Amino acid sequence: MPTNPRNLIAWILLACMLAMVGWSLLGSDLPRADFTLINPSEVKSVDPALITGQPEGRIAGAIFEGLLRYHPETLEPIAGMAERWEISDDGLVYTLYLRNNAKWSDGTPLTARDFHYSFRRFLDPRTAAEYAYQAWYLKNARQYSSGSSGIEAGDDVEVELNLPVDAPNTRRGEVIRGKLVRVEERGNEERTFVVQIPGDEVAFCPTDDSHAASREPPANCRWCRQVLLDFRQVGIEVVDDLTLRLTLEHPTPYFLGLLAFYPFSPVNQACLEAHGSPQWTKADKIVTNGTYRIAFRRIRDRFRLVRNEHHWDSDNIKLGVIDVLAMESITTGLNMFMTDEVDWITDVPPPALRVLLKEDPPRDDLNPQPYLSGYYYYLNTTRKPFDDVRVRKALSMAVDREEITTRLLPGGEIPSYSLVPPGIPGYEPQKCAPENPDEARRLLAEAGYPEGHGFPRIDILYNTHESHQAIAELVRKQWQRELGISVRTRNEEWGSYLSSLQTKQYNVARRGWIADYNDPNTYINMFVTDGEQNVVGWSNAQYDQLVQAAMTEVDPDKRLRMLEQAERILMEEQPIIPLYSYVAKNMVKPYVRGFYTNSQDDHPLWAIWIDRESEGPNEFMKGRQ
Amino acid sequence: MIAFMLRRLLWMVVTLWVVFTVSFFLMRSVPGGPFSSERNLEPEIRKNIEKRYNLDKPLVEQYFTELGNVCRGDLGYSFKLGDYTVNQVIAEGLPISVALGVLALIFATTLGLVAGVTSAVFRGTWGDVVLMLIATMGIALPNFVIAGICIILFVFLIPIFPAAGWGDFDQLLLPAFCLGAPYAAYVARIARTSMLDVLSQDHIRTARAKGVGPVRVVIVHALRGALLPVVSFLGPAVAGILTGSLVVEQIFAIPGLGSHFIHAALQRDYTLAMGLVLLYTVLLYVMNWIVDLSYAVLDPRVELQ
Repeated sequence: MPTNPRNLIAWILLACMLAMVGWSLLGSDLPRADFTLINPSEVKSVDPALITGQPEGRIAGAIFEGLLRYHPETLEPIAGMAERWEISDDGLVYTLYLRNNAKWSDGTPLTARDFHYSFRRFLDPRTAAEYAYQAWYLKNARQYSSGSSGIEAGDDVEVELNLPVDAPNTRRGEVIRGKLVRVEERGNEERTFVVQIPGDEVAFCPTDDSHAASREPPANCRWCRQVLLDFRQVGIEVVDDLTLRLTLEHPTPYFLGLLAFYPFSPVNQACLEAHGSPQWTKADKIVTNGTYRIAFRRIRDRFRLVRNEHHWDSDNIKLGVIDVLAMESITTGLNMFMTDEVDWITDVPPPALRVLLKEDPPRDDLNPQPYLSGYYYYLNTTRKPFDDVRVRKALSMAVDREEITTRLLPGGEIPSYSLVPPGIPGYEPQKCAPENPDEARRLLAEAGYPEGHGFPRIDILYNTHESHQAIAELVRKQWQRELGISVRTRNEEWGSYLSSLQTKQYNVARRGWIADYNDPNTYINMFVTDGEQNVVGWSNAQYDQLVQAAMTEVDPDKRLRMLEQAERILMEEQPIIPLYSYVAKNMVKPYVRGFYTNSQDDHPLWAIWIDRESEGPNEFMKGRQ
Repeated sequence: MIAFMLRRLLWMVVTLWVVFTVSFFLMRSVPGGPFSSERNLEPEIRKNIEKRYNLDKPLVEQYFTELGNVCRGDLGYSFKLGDYTVNQVIAEGLPISVALGVLALIFATTLGLVAGVTSAVFRGTWGDVVLMLIATMGIALPNFVIAGICIILFVFLIPIFPAAGWGDFDQLLLPAFCLGAPYAAYVARIARTSMLDVLSQDHIRTARAKGVGPVRVVIVHALRGALLPVVSFLGPAVAGILTGSLVVEQIFAIPGLGSHFIHAALQRDYTLAMGLVLLYTVLLYVMNWIVDLSYAVLDPRVELQ
């Protein structure tokens, strides 16, 4: 027996430490799920209006369901919460009929009003949804979500009044509707909105709630949260409980597909307003409408999803419990896949992929396939010498894309010569000139740099990553070898790299882009003059005109031809050098069924099931010999 | 004693304030903000987000607002983990990191002490040479190399441990070992040196002369004295284990604070990064303080009163 107090203290300390270890493990052990997959990063949020990435989309797609959803193989929009729909002949009015057994995960019915609420919230400037522009195809939606900069005198407006500071932050203040008479500058970037309300004219000053609660408003003025376009002007209309009518600005052939995209999912008003943000997203509070609901969440560890018994198709959903692990290290992911602890991983480290692909007999769980995506080098056309189209073409012609894909990329990536990757039905990607070092040298000489003499020293900017570095080094060698110019490489970590791109502080920069939706517009639209994504500073009036005309074109075939013409112009002018298309590097266990390889690398969880008895390759291995 | 503690506490507050100020301005001077993303935001939307996080105010005003919040213990919302406040992130991650760290520390001290004492007692034998060789290697190898070797050995060749994850005790053993291994090596070397030192002192010779058995001499009479240098090493070791756990956490997919820290910094998550920097500062201060106190417990020459 330790009678010495010194010893006693030491023993107590040790016991405390062990108790701590035990306590932190207490209750954290979970039984194995039916299906486990790895998400390559922790999700930013589960709120479908606020997220943008693919890992987030996997969770949101499982716990929420929009009016439509994607067919797991073809990605065609198919019935979701809406059972059927009609599109007017001019392509502008969409009438959607909801299922009468559409329900939330707490069993309450889900109606067209829920979509009205969710779409308005999605567009509300206070929600600050990054993807809000995806809904700007709806009539007047852009003006609404631009807030006070979207309205001018004479517009019908709505004024949202302030709430007490302690009100849940998801609640909306009282709304007053009227006509905007004029906007007065108060200085210091503050403005007063004079609004005519039946029988009266009132001046409103937007401010935040705490400000409004603590201070007197300026003379003859009322505080308000914000002044917006009257939402009744926006093309969203509840016809009855089960019918929703959407009106668009322009005929948009891919709009149905967008409706299946997760930002267009409904959120539960009662849940949001009862708990406030971000509390409503907690596993014990959140109310959802997808095929799964969140049973448990531990940050940077996992989501445990269980089947939502209130979902209309619940009887056909075969997986009961799904674990989505958040794991940054792809090597760790591979280790877990190899030890049978997970059933699907989304990425494989390149050195391992090289070895796995060479295995004989070929593996039955690996099938890299290209999807709609591209890897490019952007040329900053606002800087010399890239303002000269001959220089841009010469640089493109001097790159040996085959050497890049065969030497550096193990997944069977395909060299690319166009902005729009191949794989969009009905669209023919327009290619730039192929490799031709002789022609490249000739063009460079013509531009005034014979054999590279007088050519300024340029650098290739990439965000810090091994594979980007390897490609930059190889392109540097190729340009030096073929053109005799001197090139450096420069890496910056992601945040700095993005800010360098946006402020055009670069010569040549790497850029990857994955299609937002299955239409060439997702790429072509980036390069219109002063477009948000047009970081190369390139501008062409004819191109802008074609993109604009395609937007209002009703005939889908004609529209695609216009976009092809636009891409033709871009690839002649070459502000970008396409290098290759990415491949999806999923590994999926052979007993997993209903997992298809498709053009957007999107794999809805509701379609997946497990069948350990079946013989032969599963759907995932289709197309691999 | 109490005056000493109060002085310590005062210094901690001052240090926290300096750390806060320096991190605040450093973070905001790095190019790229928390909301730079691949898709540019429309200016109106960006303004709204910035308003929500107070980023539209002048820097000095932001500084004082945030200083006020931190003093009240409110670390704010995480910029990048939209569903969590910083306090919630810490509440979920800290117990996990601490559990991992404590187990690593237990590994480090027990393995290190046993190895160190053994090789001191059997000084100059084969055992001594082999143990010290292993210890030198342990110091030289970074923990991700040790982790790689351990995974190949104990996950794939002899499958006794799971590859990664959190929730089970056996998922904790391998990462804790890898995290503690380099410190075990240090402890072994320190323990050996100090043990040799103590063994050559007069009171040990006296004990032996009185006929005390060799085991009792080592464990009762020599070990306590030999522990002191080891304990003073534990302060920095705890600091290293807590802040250095991110590599191991990543390799073994453990949802502790290490990975939050690196991501917060890389993604300009100002609030989360600030919260973690302050947390680490407090932890390091407290650990050093405990080490100082433990001198009083261990060293018979220091009076407890």
